[in-house]
Amino acid sequence: MAINVLIVDDSGVMRAMILKSLNMSGLPLGDTHQAANGQEGLDVLNQNWVDLVIADINMPVMNGEEMIECMKQKPETKDIPIVVISTEGSEKRLERLRQKGAAFIHKPFSPELIRDTIRNLMGLGGADDGGAD
Amino acid sequence: MTAEQIKETLYKVAGEVLEKLAFIFSFPEEEREPMDYSDAVIARVSFTGPFKGTLLMAVSKEALPEIAGNMLGLEDNSDAAAEQQYDALKELINVICGNLLPAIAGKQTVFNVEAPHIISSDEMMNSRGAGQPSSAAKLDMDDGQCDLMLYIEN
Ligand SMILES: [Mg+2]
Repeated sequence: MAINVLIVDDSGVMRAMILKSLNMSGLPLGDTHQAANGQEGLDVLNQNWVDLVIADINMPVMNGEEMIECMKQKPETKDIPIVVISTEGSEKRLERLRQKGAAFIHKPFSPELIRDTIRNLMGLGGADDGGAD
Repeated sequence: MTAEQIKETLYKVAGEVLEKLAFIFSFPEEEREPMDYSDAVIARVSFTGPFKGTLLMAVSKEALPEIAGNMLGLEDNSDAAAEQQYDALKELINVICGNLLPAIAGKQTVFNVEAPHIISSDEMMNSRGAGQPSSAAKLDMDDGQCDLMLYIEN
């Protein structure tokens, strides 16, 4: 039942903010993993069971779009739900991400938006069964 | 967009990001003197796209611990390490730049925003030697000041 989450962002402060939002969300969290770019993210996915990926787009080494592309090509990772959290404002890029099935959250974000987006994406039901906030 | 509209957009985006990301309230102080950059932490981010350029952001040294502490959710703001304070400023300028460019150029445009860097006040003066910024914003916060300079190259 607990959700194992991987947070991929090149900013350690942003990863901490996302983790804080998750902790406040009342979602049933399991293990949380962090990675600083897409390649590190794929390495974590290779070695751990992850139920949800939260990823930035603009990152050095391997960006979020490339990471998602790689995830989609492997049977073990192609169905993992993905939330992209980015400053990206380009409709073209957002459309490409939507076509790959990723949900999108714009930075700056509110903790409530992260919670609701994950609930919708993972079919976790109503707003009153979490209760931690 | 006119120069005046770009400046308004810069103020609006910077104020909103500071508030929503760092829980810091800021006030436009267009008439005040530029900050003392030797007493500031300065970040720079470059971008390419329909136009290319650079955004600089300077924040008073004494204001940065609270900003970083708020972003990290620390109880005691003085606990943010220097590296975390720099990281907080880099993420702030990254989010400001990422929101600013489509607000200026339109949502259909695609920009590539490079990774932000912390620079010294000397490096900043060198960038400024390239000429007047296309747009600038001066903000006051409880614990200090914040200046933003946008350079558009073409
Ligand atoms: Mg980033």
